[in-house]
Amino acid sequence: MNTNGMSLEHINYLKGIRKKNRTVSFFRYFILIAVIALWELAARLGWIDPFIMSSPSRVFDTIGRLYRDNELFHHIAITMYETVVGFLLGTIFGTLIAIILWWSRSLARILDPYLVVLNALPKIALGPILIVWFGAGVKSIIIMALLISLIVTVMTVLAGFNEITDEKQLLMRTLGANRFQILTMVVLPASVPTVMSALKISVGMSWVGVIVGEYLVSRAGLGYLIVYGSQVFKLDLVMSSIVILCVLAAIMYYCVAYFEKRLIKWRDWA
Amino acid sequence: MAEILLEADSVGLTYHQPGGETLAVDSISFDVNHGEFLSIVGPSGCGKTSILSMIAGLLKPSHGKITLHSDARPGYMLQRDHLLDWRTVEGNVLLGLQVKGTLNEETRAFANSLLDTYGLKEFAKSYPRQLSGGMRQKVALIRTLACSPELLLLDEPFSALDYQTRLMACDEMYGIIRNEGKTAVLVTHDISEAISMSDRILVFSARPARIKAEHTIKLSQGNTPLSRRNSPEFKDYFDSIWKEIDHEH
Repeated sequence: MNTNGMSLEHINYLKGIRKKNRTVSFFRYFILIAVIALWELAARLGWIDPFIMSSPSRVFDTIGRLYRDNELFHHIAITMYETVVGFLLGTIFGTLIAIILWWSRSLARILDPYLVVLNALPKIALGPILIVWFGAGVKSIIIMALLISLIVTVMTVLAGFNEITDEKQLLMRTLGANRFQILTMVVLPASVPTVMSALKISVGMSWVGVIVGEYLVSRAGLGYLIVYGSQVFKLDLVMSSIVILCVLAAIMYYCVAYFEKRLIKWRDWA
Repeated sequence: MAEILLEADSVGLTYHQPGGETLAVDSISFDVNHGEFLSIVGPSGCGKTSILSMIAGLLKPSHGKITLHSDARPGYMLQRDHLLDWRTVEGNVLLGLQVKGTLNEETRAFANSLLDTYGLKEFAKSYPRQLSGGMRQKVALIRTLACSPELLLLDEPFSALDYQTRLMACDEMYGIIRNEGKTAVLVTHDISEAISMSDRILVFSARPARIKAEHTIKLSQGNTPLSRRNSPEFKDYFDSIWKEIDHEH
């Protein structure tokens, strides 16, 4: 952009934008710091019972202790592993199923009511069955994460595929394209934005699946720490695990968002 | 007598829907010669597009026969350019060749030479969203030409453009089509556009489509659509075609 020869009005306009952005950032950090400070203050001054409500300093100490005992990264690694595997499997299978349903309209029509019911069903209800079928371990947890993200992925991605106008497909047919070429040259690339937003949803879904799975069966992981902490009434441990979970979930979400931005370069040209 | 490129012999088409069947095109016959520019005008919804779809092989005629004396698949231009946003201009132009599986050094060079000739070389690496409407439609035409069709089917290719752009694009496309020596069948509801571009015009009736009139266009002035509009005969053609089109729609 040309910085020389800008009118005063434009300079002020740009200043205005920067000022608004600064205000937004300021309040974002302000809320975070204020909540932490208030929490700590309330615990110190006895407004709340730190034994039940914990406090930022106790959370900090607990995380430090977990780290010194070499437990912190052990639990994080297990939970991350389960989430990433569940997420990737859910994405891969979800997209594959969506492709098959796009390919065969009849099959999509036949299976539609089943998808609707599966989508409505709280997958957590299947937990006990999964434990019986796949054992009380990592396998059950990953399958739980997979199940929870799978149906959402199928439905969002399929909706994205079907959104691609018939006219774009008509164009491909005028060029003599077969259905496979329409899929690979138009439908898949055009659906990248939809698939990416489906991924953003299913990242969250995978976390839900993993934590619920860990509640039910596990002997390690952040979900396990939360359940264990609440059973032995170590609320510091529970709060610490939740804080770590927040950070991890945010990191994973931003990874997907970053990936999305890299992949859809052409969108920048509006 | 020029060589015939396309023959339509008493072609008819019936559409089937759950609510019943509709006769869209009644027995229509016409020929198109090599290098000719033929336009089809008629009221909207009269089945003009169905004719193009049948020539392109996208729809099968219910009866009658269409014969194309060319091995090359006809090039089809739709109302909107439908450039793929995630491909560069060059990538879009090569799309047809990739679909056909005939993309090689030679065809790629040919496609690039078309971009070069028609002033789009510097935009080859740009994305469609960076181009204006007129330029996008020009890229769509070059995408069609890159497959070296003998026959071009133009389905209201300018209707998505604003009036100014439309006149400019019309001139430009006409120049390109003539320059490349292509045969063209244009479907439009714009009478002026049809007269300004064509050698011959078929006037279709309201549905079911039948050929109501045929005009061979001879204009004494100009060699571009825009300048041809200044010919004294232009108005007469316009008036007679205007009267022939059913206006109750």
